[in-house]
Amino acid sequence: MTLKAGYLPGVSDDDIEWQTLSYNRDGQAIDVRVPLLSDEQMKHLSAHIKEKSRHYLKSLPVSDITAIIDTAITRLLDRNNAYRQQAEEYLPLITGYDAEMIRLGLTGYLKTFRQPELRRFIAEDFANPKLLDEFQPLPKGGYGRAYGPDLLAHIWAGNVPGLPLWSLISGLLVKAGNIGKVASAEPLMASWFTQLIAEIDPELGECLAVVWWKGGDVEQEQALLNQADLVVAYGNNETLQQIRDRTPITTRCLTYSHKVSFGMISKTALDMGKAWEVAHQAAFDIVRYDQQGCYSPHVFFVERGGAVTPQEFSQYVANELDCFEEKYPRRTLTIEEAGGVAAWRQSEEMKAFADESNSLISNDGGTWSIAYSAAVEDLVPSGLNRTAKVIAVDQLDDVAARIAPYKAFLQTVGVAAPPAELHRLAGLLGAVGVTRISALEHMTTPEAGWHHDGRFNLLDLVTMTEVERSAEIASEAFPNYVD
Amino acid sequence: MNFAGKVVLVTGSSRGIGAAIAEAFAAEGATVVVNYVQNASAAEDVVAKCKEVGGDATAIQADVTSGEQIQLLVDQSLQDFAKIDVVVNNAFKPYTFDPDNRKQFADLDWQDYQGQIDGALFSTYTMCQAVLPALKKRTQGSIINIASDLVARPTIPYHDYTTAKSALIGFSRNLAAELGPLGIRVNCVAPGLVYPTDASRKTKERIKEMIIAQTPMRRIASPEDVTGPVLFLASDWSRFMTGQTLYVDGGLVMK
Repeated sequence: MTLKAGYLPGVSDDDIEWQTLSYNRDGQAIDVRVPLLSDEQMKHLSAHIKEKSRHYLKSLPVSDITAIIDTAITRLLDRNNAYRQQAEEYLPLITGYDAEMIRLGLTGYLKTFRQPELRRFIAEDFANPKLLDEFQPLPKGGYGRAYGPDLLAHIWAGNVPGLPLWSLISGLLVKAGNIGKVASAEPLMASWFTQLIAEIDPELGECLAVVWWKGGDVEQEQALLNQADLVVAYGNNETLQQIRDRTPITTRCLTYSHKVSFGMISKTALDMGKAWEVAHQAAFDIVRYDQQGCYSPHVFFVERGGAVTPQEFSQYVANELDCFEEKYPRRTLTIEEAGGVAAWRQSEEMKAFADESNSLISNDGGTWSIAYSAAVEDLVPSGLNRTAKVIAVDQLDDVAARIAPYKAFLQTVGVAAPPAELHRLAGLLGAVGVTRISALEHMTTPEAGWHHDGRFNLLDLVTMTEVERSAEIASEAFPNYVD
Repeated sequence: MNFAGKVVLVTGSSRGIGAAIAEAFAAEGATVVVNYVQNASAAEDVVAKCKEVGGDATAIQADVTSGEQIQLLVDQSLQDFAKIDVVVNNAFKPYTFDPDNRKQFADLDWQDYQGQIDGALFSTYTMCQAVLPALKKRTQGSIINIASDLVARPTIPYHDYTTAKSALIGFSRNLAAELGPLGIRVNCVAPGLVYPTDASRKTKERIKEMIIAQTPMRRIASPEDVTGPVLFLASDWSRFMTGQTLYVDGGLVMK
């Protein structure tokens, strides 16, 4: 089976060098052909996208753009749609994630991009969404309009299927021309989405492109960075540093680096009636996309004093992970990933060996592991791929001070606590750099319009052009009807 | 069925059904803790047989009507083998199944009931309390409690004995409900009259013939007949079964 990734308006397929990425997960082989552009072709493609976005997209009202995206998303939500069927069939083969997890995950994810959600997304960042369409009066006086870049370059990571849609749709909403570079780990979803947009509105399709190069290919990367007006990049700090270093000084570069997220469970959530459900929710957050997201939990701080002890809670989570293994089996790991899990487990085994109050529970196949520590420990990333740690604490209020040194890495905290405590903890967590607090079971599904890493997804992409009050006043001297 | 690497504790396994269960586990490669209360040499014989059939075994003396001794039994087992995978609560307070000379209800005092309840329920309760921390630590384990088909069909009304075994089934279901979310299973095996065992030696031929006549499979259970369902409930083959009672009586009771 051979599929084609990439989307290149204005460039003929025949002129391009195509490479083949081969995937073989659990014995099912699949090839994906990806385009490799020359420096010259990248320049040509960039010029094409810039021109089309200037002439078409910039004059398209935001409400039209949301309607087009909504049409595309509605089709992708339709189980009978060919693109949807391709996604359900091939994404599990490419990524190794369980087919059922992808199917359910896609639906939940895509629902956040329907028109009402997109409008909410825009309203989060623009009190007056008309700012994106025309000059609007500003409260301070004068007029202003928000412009997206002519060419927004996206450099995506392939950790979670479909994730590129976040930034691609953000780019469209601010009327940016977009060229996105897909990761080898998952090159398809963004390609299909752009093709679908082009089918719905061919002119809008001319404002989008999806390219590929092998991760770390400096020349290819430089070719795109040189052309971009704005860069959005995802990855680890090392990768991002290189991208930032190579981005021309006049081009803004927005980076989303790796994060560590965790859960907090109040003793009031640990009675015999609720503990199991909370454990179920915590396990779901661990299982969904095998902790590959920045919002996936690595650690759960569990408060002592409930009817169910933190250690018993870890046992409940262990059994839930075992149940999820039946429902959504973990994907086959690469050698590097398996090494990461093994190293983490070995370290936790040593801790359990050295101190009987610690423990490590795993299944026979080692496809999940949950460690328990009776003593407060620092926030350390887990071995990923369904490995997590329960840390017992006397009071959840003490956790914030403990995690403060990791400010640059903090993102989501899943909280199970009563309202007053939730709000008190939110104050403590926000102060040390946590940017998102969610319910357990929702850690990996941010709501529409969330602020990724606490940033303004759309505002960060635009520049404001302002007509100051002085210009307005001065202009009053010049019309032919002036008295 | 392969129990290699599994540690199985069988109470009251120096003779009768318990001994057969111990040997059956050993034959599948298990390490068996053979618990006994009085007959050390019989227990050693069982240990020898276990080793002979390919398993490993050790005999540990403990009276399961004593909480202290049960704790020592569990501690010793964990010390020797680091874990316990399966517990078979098979021991019970000596009871003579003599249909002709059984006590009528009017002749029974509460002490008779209390004695059987302690024998069947207290011992199982205490064993579960002692062993659960170790099972929970690994969120896996199978507990099998030996009941009797008399709970469903009191062919001979052994009031005190059968009442205690009925309580054991209720106890097992509740424990199964609480431990399910922790990955630990609790089930019962309810044999019919098993012959020959020390307890059933006094059962008259006439009674046996009566039971045989009513049993679809037309014979009485041997100790070896009980082992299969016990091993099944201990194995992953029954990994999604808990709170169940398997009747092993040739179809005398059908539920």
